[in-house]
Amino acid sequence: MKKIIALTIIGCCMLLRVVAQGDLLDEINKEDSAKPQRNFTTATFKATRIINMQSVELTGAGNLQFMITHHFGLLWNKDAGAQNLVQMFGLNAGIAKTYLALDYSFNRWFNVGLAAAGTSNFEGWMRFKLLRQQTGTYNIPVTVDWISTANVNSSKTATLVGEPVWNRYSFMHQLLIARKFSDKFSLQFMPTLVHNNVVPYGVNNSNNVWSLGVGGRYKVSDKKAITFEYARQLNMFDFVIMKNGTIVNYNPNLVSIGYDWDTGGHIFQLFASSTTMSTNIEQLTRNPYNFAKGEFALGFNINRSFGIKKKVKEL
Amino acid sequence: MKKLLIFATGLLLMAISFQVQGQTYKTRDGYVYFNPNKDQDHKDYAAATKEGTGVLRVETADVAFLVQMKTFHFNNALLEEHFNENYLHSDKYPNATYKGKLIGFTKDMLTKDGVYNLTSEGQVTMHGVTKDFKSPVKLTVSGKTATFECEFKIKAEDYKIDIPGIVKPKLADFTPLKANIKFQLN
Repeated sequence: MKKIIALTIIGCCMLLRVVAQGDLLDEINKEDSAKPQRNFTTATFKATRIINMQSVELTGAGNLQFMITHHFGLLWNKDAGAQNLVQMFGLNAGIAKTYLALDYSFNRWFNVGLAAAGTSNFEGWMRFKLLRQQTGTYNIPVTVDWISTANVNSSKTATLVGEPVWNRYSFMHQLLIARKFSDKFSLQFMPTLVHNNVVPYGVNNSNNVWSLGVGGRYKVSDKKAITFEYARQLNMFDFVIMKNGTIVNYNPNLVSIGYDWDTGGHIFQLFASSTTMSTNIEQLTRNPYNFAKGEFALGFNINRSFGIKKKVKEL
Repeated sequence: MKKLLIFATGLLLMAISFQVQGQTYKTRDGYVYFNPNKDQDHKDYAAATKEGTGVLRVETADVAFLVQMKTFHFNNALLEEHFNENYLHSDKYPNATYKGKLIGFTKDMLTKDGVYNLTSEGQVTMHGVTKDFKSPVKLTVSGKTATFECEFKIKAEDYKIDIPGIVKPKLADFTPLKANIKFQLN
């Protein structure tokens, strides 16, 4: 009997040793998951723009980003015929709108930017990250940003000369709601309000122009992605009566497709878009080109960011 | 007889509770730093984390360490994105782990202040690849803290981390890493 007990005890002890040793990796995984788990979704989009529109991505905290955007002339001008060839599908047409922007993120959720927006326009914006897509302790399915942009037209165009300075301003407020559905596919929804301080005169006038947009990207490899955008203007595009009495029709649709290429140091975005305008405000309120008639123009964005704030500390 | 049995069981239970509870130290703020630049004075690609999890089992001198890849932070956010998206594929392989033994470690070291030179041997798993690992470790015991310091080198190719040709000339073949893991003794 004693022997049996002794054997049982030894047996139990051996068993115990195995149990107690367990797998240290299991234990460490348990220990790690005991931390508050917040799995933030990163890199919903490659750059701070999808194509023309801002994306939910902010320049990294403490990083300064420089962006150069070009919008060339129309790819194919119906009336120009063979001239299109010498104009090299808009690249050599002599109309290229340049958009030079600098933006800085103070932290993960606050970003400011300044831009020379082409044709004597200047822009400044403030962008707030309101929600981050994440799983774990909190389950949030989308990332949400708020952007407010102010645009001032400082050109000496006839319609603005002699008017109060305030008439040169317009504003854009945009809510960006994006979800990274998978490693490859992200989608963004963007309701937009543009407020023009100048009201064109007419029966259907309004300072406020509303639009809805959707944009997305599909990654074809780690560094390359296809992007698309569609925005629809909801008011103020049909029979807009200008101050001088002319009636203008704008096109409410803005269609773009693009190609993102991450070269390592830069992000290069090449696109074709149904606009030649360089600012979101113009694109969403005064775009004359019709995608259905094949009126597309080439363009590109190049981003480069610099780590201004040194965060990495060597012990 | 029955008394003996009860006694034995009691002893056993004590042994269980002792084995499982005692002599295991944990930390959640392990530090790891690396600088992949060829020229170590250039720190533009350097990154660090302060959120490593470590477990030390004193009786058996077993150690384990886990780092979530996304806790590594870089000065340049774009590099951080590349690190996670293009190099380490952090969504697919979220953690790097180390499991091994401390060779030359005895539990008496934790009760006496001093600096001890040890060796650690085990396996590192990262980016879905498991490799044998061996490195000298410096243990500094001072009062109620035991600090393990380890400097080692790894080769990116060993872990199937693909570095494009354009970046390669700027990077060292073997990436030096520094780890600093502090345990609060009780």
